Amino acid sequence: MSWAQAILVARGLSRGWGGVCSTALTGAPFSQVPPQAPRGLHCSAAAHNPDSSLVPRPPEPPRRPVKALAVHEELFRPALDGARDKANFVQAVQNFAEYNVHKRGHVDFIYLALRKMRQYGVERDLSVYNLLLDVFPKEVFRPRNIFHSIFLHYPRQQECGIAVLEQMENHGVMPNKETEFLLLQIFGRKSYPMLKLVRMKLWFTRFKNINPFPVPRDLPQDPVDLASLALRHMEPDLSARVTTYQMPLPKDSPDTMDPAETHIVGIQSPEQQSALARHDPARPIFVEGPFSLWLRDKCVYYHILRADLLPPEKREVEEIPEEWNLYYPMQLDLAYGRSSWDDYEFNIDEVEEGPVFAICVAGAHDQATLAKWIQGLQETNPALARIPVVFRLSGSSGELLASSDLEEPPPPPPEGQEEEDTQQRQQQGQS
Amino acid sequence: MSGCGLFWRSVAARFCRAPAAFAVSRRPLLTSPPSRAFAKELFLGKIQKKEAFPFPEVSRDELNEINQFVGPVEKFFTEEVDSRKIDQEGKIPDETLEKLKSLGLFGMQVPEEYGGLGLSNTMYARLGEVIGLDASIAVTLAAHQAIGLKGIILAGSKEQKARYLPRLASGEHVAAFCLTEPASGSDAASIRTRATLSADKRHYVLNGSKVWITNGGLASVFTVFAKTEVVDSDGSVKDKITAFIVERDFGGVTNGKPEDKMGIRGSNTCEVHFENTRVPVENVLGEVGGGFKVAMNILNSGRFSMGSTVAGMLKKLIGMTAEYACTRKQFNRSLSEFGLIQEKFALMAQKAYVMESMAYLTAAMLDAPGFPDCSIETAMVKVFSSEGAWTCVSEALQVLGGSGYVRDHPYERFVRDSRILLIFEGTNEILRMYIALTGLQHAGRILTARVKELKRGNVTTIMETVGQRLRDSLGRTVDLGLTGKLGVVHPSLADGAHKLEENVYYFGRSVESLLLRFGKTIVEEQLVLKRVANVLINLYAMTAVLSRASRSIRLGLRDHDHEVLLANMFCSEAYHQNLFTLSQLDKHSPENLDELVKKVSQQILEKRAYICTHPLDRAS
Repeated sequence: MSWAQAILVARGLSRGWGGVCSTALTGAPFSQVPPQAPRGLHCSAAAHNPDSSLVPRPPEPPRRPVKALAVHEELFRPALDGARDKANFVQAVQNFAEYNVHKRGHVDFIYLALRKMRQYGVERDLSVYNLLLDVFPKEVFRPRNIFHSIFLHYPRQQECGIAVLEQMENHGVMPNKETEFLLLQIFGRKSYPMLKLVRMKLWFTRFKNINPFPVPRDLPQDPVDLASLALRHMEPDLSARVTTYQMPLPKDSPDTMDPAETHIVGIQSPEQQSALARHDPARPIFVEGPFSLWLRDKCVYYHILRADLLPPEKREVEEIPEEWNLYYPMQLDLAYGRSSWDDYEFNIDEVEEGPVFAICVAGAHDQATLAKWIQGLQETNPALARIPVVFRLSGSSGELLASSDLEEPPPPPPEGQEEEDTQQRQQQGQS
Repeated sequence: MSGCGLFWRSVAARFCRAPAAFAVSRRPLLTSPPSRAFAKELFLGKIQKKEAFPFPEVSRDELNEINQFVGPVEKFFTEEVDSRKIDQEGKIPDETLEKLKSLGLFGMQVPEEYGGLGLSNTMYARLGEVIGLDASIAVTLAAHQAIGLKGIILAGSKEQKARYLPRLASGEHVAAFCLTEPASGSDAASIRTRATLSADKRHYVLNGSKVWITNGGLASVFTVFAKTEVVDSDGSVKDKITAFIVERDFGGVTNGKPEDKMGIRGSNTCEVHFENTRVPVENVLGEVGGGFKVAMNILNSGRFSMGSTVAGMLKKLIGMTAEYACTRKQFNRSLSEFGLIQEKFALMAQKAYVMESMAYLTAAMLDAPGFPDCSIETAMVKVFSSEGAWTCVSEALQVLGGSGYVRDHPYERFVRDSRILLIFEGTNEILRMYIALTGLQHAGRILTARVKELKRGNVTTIMETVGQRLRDSLGRTVDLGLTGKLGVVHPSLADGAHKLEENVYYFGRSVESLLLRFGKTIVEEQLVLKRVANVLINLYAMTAVLSRASRSIRLGLRDHDHEVLLANMFCSEAYHQNLFTLSQLDKHSPENLDELVKKVSQQILEKRAYICTHPLDRAS
């Protein structure tokens, strides 16, 4: 690290790039590149949280010459009608090229543009990234000899190129041939942006489908749709049916705070239904929650209807009735079972849990709302009318509170903890 | 035409008048009483020679009787039954049905004292060959007598027999078998039809609906299975299945419109509903609560005839196809000169030969005195013949190429008709389970002591087993006494016989090790069971073929050399199939892909869709 920095510093000084040098030393944006440099080809950029990017943050830049930014900032002035879309963005980039034939300050412009992309809703548009890369002057930053390519040639520009690719990566945009061609023209084959591109091309395809439970890229905005998506996401049984027990009132209605008006969406599979029908009415069932489920950047809170595990002595042994199958015997009358050396099952210590009978997602997490859900469930599960339902709603949902709600004293977490502990103890006692 | 009618009536009358002749001929020759069922012994690696060798014969008189009877029936089927019209109209014409009735074909297995023909199983099989020429008629007749009225013959009381059988045998009444329900195929526990005893205890009130009832629209007598409340020996009330004889005249019996089927379109299949049908208690078939056994017995007894029925159809098919292959010319050569076409004929002939042999061997076993349990054998005949029919019919169609595919030729109808064979009377999958599990149960009982000793670690038994395995692995020659000086198999078939012996011996070994490995949990190993059943079917087929061909050689029957060819060909083929299957049954065998198969199917069934991405898809 220090070695690399020393080299860079030395190079920076020798080239008289005080500006670059100072950023390198203060370490804000540039320090993210050096760890990559010494490790060279073998390792990708340092792991950092997905939100971080190589683009310098606007609040920080007192170190950066503010004038240049201000100049470019006006390119991104909102249009007359206030619309911010791809056309405007493209227009801004083209304006930059027109306004600045020598492409002076293009690095700053690109950083600015990268920050603005989200506002214009083009952060997932490959052609826009290509357009941005096109802003770089061509052939200038290509290493001309072996020493150029050994040492970081035009580091600030390369860093900027990497920042563009990094932002692509964060938004899951796969570079195409044009990107590669542009990078070739700008930085040449032996450059860090090119390396980044190669790595992206290698790993993107491999990681793209790594999630066996894919979540759609654009989540539905409607809470009911989102809830049913979340429920489908959790429920493995494809026969399960999503039921909307209550639709939310339209947003503009005056009393949206009334919990009676929020949405209640539930899911139940036929198997869960029959398990509930078989449930011993003497044993209570519980509504528990809220538990959180993250779908991309949205969090959904759900509740479950569950029962405690039956104690082993009460479990019904599933016996095969004598006259069941008309065609072949369902069991053999033999005294011995599978031999131990033919038992391929791994010895897995499984924690058995009680059955879950249904899941719901509701807009409010209070008992009144959930009671409505139980009422709705009773229509398809008549047995539920006879079974006592206990609401075990933990106050500390872990739900993110909006800043306006902060005045309310949050429920003391230790209490919730205690409650859970006692529940666990109860369960242990029962099982 | 009227003359013909007269002739048939006279034939039928003759048969009705001559019960004595049949009383004699009902028992075909069989030298000794059966000791044990043949197939079950195969599971122990033994061949019960007495059961299958020599191939059963019928007496000269009996043969004459059969031929005299078969002649007019065959004439009727070839000349007057228009299968194409039956298929297109989806109905058997009334006059055809009338003639079938006058021929006595509605009461083939009904005893003579009740006005039926009282045919033995062998003769029934022989007639089946002719009836098989039209699938719709065959199915209609089978539904009537193989299952529809079989219950009355098997479990009915004297009064019930006297009351129903005469009119059923004459065809005045048609019978139907009502077991399947929307929610209950082979699962007897989910039968919903219910019979409740009325207050005066003289009637049962029947409510429920049955689906896919062949003859449902024609029948006036139904064998219906329904749940009744039965007081158990320990005083608890249980739901048990009871069989009833229900007449349409009891009231409340309605049927839906005939199903539009793929094949056997002439047969009538529909839903039958019972609504508050009052069934007198005298009409309980068997005991109250004993319906399950009745149903099982009926189903088990109804199967064997498929072998000869299919064989009859195939024999006709081979003739028709050969006619085409020898006349159609391509490249100045007739189709029959091409190897790939010839191969198809060999296949068809082989299948027909094998299923014929199996069918008649089984029929003779069933005809043996006493009540031999041949349910495994009949199931094997059914599985082999249905699958053989499907392959052969499709190969025959292939010989014709495009012209087989159009409706001008009967081939597409044969294909459609033969598809049902794999499905009804117990699907082949289910029957394979039955074959394997019944046999394994038998073997398991006998091997229990041995297995227990092995598990306990008895040194002598273990040493014995190890020694046996060692000798096996060194390649011992297996001799179960089929050939040799006093062998039952003719020397020219010795090769096939050795192969059979070897297969049987190693099958016994495999069964033993399977039982050791899985014990009673083998019920869950369906892929293993399927293989066990496949091997057993092959073994039984080999036995039947060897036995029949040996008899033909020894008697010097016409063209027995052709039979030897077919027999040797089949034995070789089956031998290699068996070797492969047996090696799949070994532990850790590389041929066994079960784990992969299970994984693939699990993943697909979890998603309920084909999983792979499209070959043209890109990652980016």
